[in-house]
Formats: sequence, C-alpha cells, structure tokens
Amino acid sequence: MSLIEGLLGPEEPEVGCDECFAELDRYVELELAGADPDAQLPGLRAHLAGCLACREEHQSLRDLLSADQG
Amino acid sequence: MEVAVTLPVVDPESRAWVAALAGDGADREAALERLHALLLRAARFELGRRRGQLAGMSAGERQDLAVQAADDALMGVLARLDDFRGLSRFTTWAYKFALLEAATKARRTAWRDRELPRPPEDWLAMAADDGHPEAAAEHAELLAALRAAVAEVLTPHQREVLLTVVAGRVPLDVLAERRGTTRGALYKTIHDARRKLRAHLAGAGLLAGEEVSRR
Repeated sequence: MSLIEGLLGPEEPEVGCDECFAELDRYVELELAGADPDAQLPGLRAHLAGCLACREEHQSLRDLLSADQG
Repeated sequence: MEVAVTLPVVDPESRAWVAALAGDGADREAALERLHALLLRAARFELGRRRGQLAGMSAGERQDLAVQAADDALMGVLARLDDFRGLSRFTTWAYKFALLEAATKARRTAWRDRELPRPPEDWLAMAADDGHPEAAAEHAELLAALRAAVAEVLTPHQREVLLTVVAGRVPLDVLAERRGTTRGALYKTIHDARRKLRAHLAGAGLLAGEEVSRR
C-alpha cells in the first residue's frame, strides 16, 4: 500500500475493527466455499483494505483453514 | 450487518462443542482441554508466521507466548460463547480468538523496548521512497494538497494517530497499548481523519468521483 493509499484509506463505506472481528470467521468460510462474502457482509472487504492488523488476521485465518483442509 | 434474518443451521460438531462447553463435569473438562489444544495450535501457527518479527526470542519464549495467547483466547471464547450463532463452524469461530491474541502479543512484543517514532517532519518525502516513486511523481499535485490538508483539516489527535500508524508504520495494537485505548477506537480516529482528507481533496477537485457531501 502506498503512502497516499494509507492516508486516504478505502473509498467505500467500511465496518470497524469490532464488527470485522465479529464476522471474520463467517467471511472466510464463505470465501473458501467460493461464495460471495461481500454480498452478505458489506463493508468488510473495504475495512480489510484499510486496516493492516485486521488484514493480517484475515489472511492468517484463511491460511489456517486452508492448511486444515489439506 | 445482517442482510437477511435466518435461523442459523448449526452443524452437529459445532453444536457438540457448545453443549460440552456450556455443560459441566468431565465432559466440560475434556472439551476445555481439546479447545485449548486447538487454540494453541492456532497461536503457534500465527507466531510461526511472525518468526522474523520475534527474532530476539528463544524457542522457549515463543512457546510461552503461544501458551499465553491460547490461555487468553480460551478466556475470550468462554466469555463470548453466547455470541456464537452457528454461522460458521465453531472451530473457525474459536480460531480467530487465538489468531488475534497471538498477533497482538507478537506485535507488542516486537515493539516492547522501542520508543514510538514521531512521524517524520518530511513524511511526504516517504511517498517517493516507499516503492512507488512513479506514483509520487505522477501525483505531485495531490501530494502537495494532501500535505496541506493534513496540516489544516485534521485535529492534532487525528494527525498524530494517522501519521504514526501510516507514515510511522506503528501497529495499531502497539499504539493502542501505549495510549491506553483499543484498536477499534484508534481505527475510528483514522477512519474519520481519512474521510476529512478525502472530502477536502474532493472539494478541491483532486479526487474523481468522491462525494463532497462526505465532508
């Protein structure tokens, strides 16, 4: 992410960190199932774009579940 | 956030987890032990990804950190068991507590003995030095306007938080710990600051498609 992107953040409306944490498990399972998580959980993808900490944890959960699924 | 009201269909394995943890006796003790092992695995997974960040720690210290993360995650899971709605598998829901605890502890440990950097005076010069020099040259006008907007439209608190996290690259969890606040509260500050900057730049015609009303 460039400095400009970091300063301006995502253009779209986004949820906050607490809402992101509350829905992260559902979001990742929908992603891995090939469903459309953004239709069911609007604002979460934009938050992941703007928040590095939540983005890292999203990636970790994805990777951990993928590892579980072998 | 919900767009449809549906009764969750809890899978049998998740239902068994919740029933055992909400129960008592030997079944609950066994479930707690299995859950802790699951959380410990997730915590180790997260700390393994962050080995570079934790280079100063011994294997034993990393193991201790993983156990602390699993312990704290277990407390979190039990405290919020009523929040589990069965919209994902229980193990997925539980994993996120361990990943959060491990990631937060790793970030804070990595910064434990470090002073928080003050945002550099010439933070905008970083735009040409952050791997996007072409973008910096292309957006010279935008950068100049951004510098002015950061100075003029943000409150001192918004300016400090945004620049410390974005230009200073201080993790939100670390700044939250030092300031005695939460990640969510700091992100709200950043979000509000970004909206102000976007609205200001849009008003100056520098951001295509941006709604000036967001100001």
